[in-house]
Amino acid sequence: MTAPLVEIRELGFHYPDGTPALDGVSLAVARGERVAVLGPTGSGKSTLLQHLNGLLRPTAGGVWIEGVTVDAGPGLSDIRRKVGLVFQDPNDQLFLPTLMEDVAFGPLNDGVGPVDAAARATAMLRELGLDGVGARAAHHLSGGERRLAALATVLVSRPVVLALDEPTGDLDARGRMRLVDLLRARGETLLVATHDLTLARALCGRGVVLYGGRVVADRELGALLADRALLERYGLESPSGE
Amino acid sequence: MSFHHLDQFATVPSPVTAMPPVARLVGATSVAVGAATLPLGAWPAAAALGALVAAMTLLARVPVPLLLRRMSGPLAFVLLASAGLLVFVPGDPVLDLGWVAVTRPGVERFGFVLARAVVALSAAVLLVTTTEFPDLLDALRRLRLPRVVTTALSLAYRLLYLLMEELERLLRAARSRNAGAGAASRRRLAAGVAAAVLQRAFARAERTHRAMLARGYQGELATLTEWRWRAWMVAALATLLGLVLVTAVLARG
Ligand SMILES: Nc1ncnc2c1ncn2[C@@H]1O[C@H](COP(=O)(O)OP(=O)(O)O)[C@@H](O)[C@H]1O
Ligand SMILES: [Mg+2]
Repeated sequence: MTAPLVEIRELGFHYPDGTPALDGVSLAVARGERVAVLGPTGSGKSTLLQHLNGLLRPTAGGVWIEGVTVDAGPGLSDIRRKVGLVFQDPNDQLFLPTLMEDVAFGPLNDGVGPVDAAARATAMLRELGLDGVGARAAHHLSGGERRLAALATVLVSRPVVLALDEPTGDLDARGRMRLVDLLRARGETLLVATHDLTLARALCGRGVVLYGGRVVADRELGALLADRALLERYGLESPSGE
Repeated sequence: MSFHHLDQFATVPSPVTAMPPVARLVGATSVAVGAATLPLGAWPAAAALGALVAAMTLLARVPVPLLLRRMSGPLAFVLLASAGLLVFVPGDPVLDLGWVAVTRPGVERFGFVLARAVVALSAAVLLVTTTEFPDLLDALRRLRLPRVVTTALSLAYRLLYLLMEELERLLRAARSRNAGAGAASRRRLAAGVAAAVLQRAFARAERTHRAMLARGYQGELATLTEWRWRAWMVAALATLLGLVLVTAVLARG
């Protein structure tokens, strides 16, 4: 029996100020699955994603990646390489003077030499259609470009699991479809925190609904989106145009 | 905002922008230090260094009015700080203002201090006008400035722009609610906005720190850039340094 790629067991977390955020969350994700983590604002989606690579430490239960527990031990840098986390605000992830430096940041930290890191960053930017803007500073990019750039900074490290936090916040319909096509073509295992049900439908096969820090539904996505009563009860709007 | 175009001439192709940033930094610094330390009255030396900067400005194709405009702020400060020289240096009065008199040695001293400042400042302004910030940082790194300093500077660069964006957003939001009419209300608004920007800066720094950890940051910022030195660049930098040195020696001769 092989361990699931991501396993979350009875995960509980409250912030240092006492705010409870997660309570008894259990979830297993197999390799290649694309899971939408749905729920209204404040339901704990971002908190959950930040547990996947040890940015936050559980106050109860635990998280395992390929059977390895996520904790402060020596395995942490390995886990951070395997789990790519794309933050909600791209600006948080673009902190260096040029885009190229931002994209090369991960590989350089993993011990890749400057020449190879630059080559990988260049290839990554090209794959996302950002070849022209590598020398630019993030404040000279459009919102959509910043979004893709933030994704590039994570994909360049070749993660096995990609955790995306509200990835369509500032994308229009076309930008959203482009993102979907790109992610489907690449085939990483995905956890996507979103309240954009159109994105969830286009990208994911399974939906998990968080509400008040607990998992209240975990189903095949089509079935979940067809359950209007459930969507309404948990403050989710059905996808546009239906 | 003018600050978005600080380095707008960095991408204009010229012999100056072709030079590795380290060369530009060393060149500009040597001219600035050379000028700032000239002994009083070394007018020919000041003129020579001034001519050097003027030549560089022409080569880099930076418009002179722009250079002057960027110098005006610090220059006003120098003017203010050294105006006292006009009257406090004892000597022949040339202009009697009643209770004090402007003296001839005072005018000479004041004029020279000003000339030195103009040359030193123009070298510095030319450097930041022709060199992009990341390149400047890389140059500082190569000159073995401590890693913490260059890391802090490179993060500060992006943060500065993010804070400007936040500031603009906050001000726009406040104005759209008609805040800031009247002096007292404007003061309150400024205080409120400053507090909000500070708070957001801390929250942003915290999130950025997490983003760095998430990508494997362990306390060292590795870098990418490689510049190519060509023979003419070495020769040009050596010539510049030589000229500054000769000028400095002659001025003390
Ligand atoms: N840094 C923090 N300190 C204290 N409470 C927080 C912090 N971040 C989030 N929370 C709280 O934790 C809960 C879950 O938040 P979050 O995970 O951000 O939800 P979501 O991403 O679904 O909007 C909310 O009640 C939120 O107010
Ligand atoms: Mg969130």
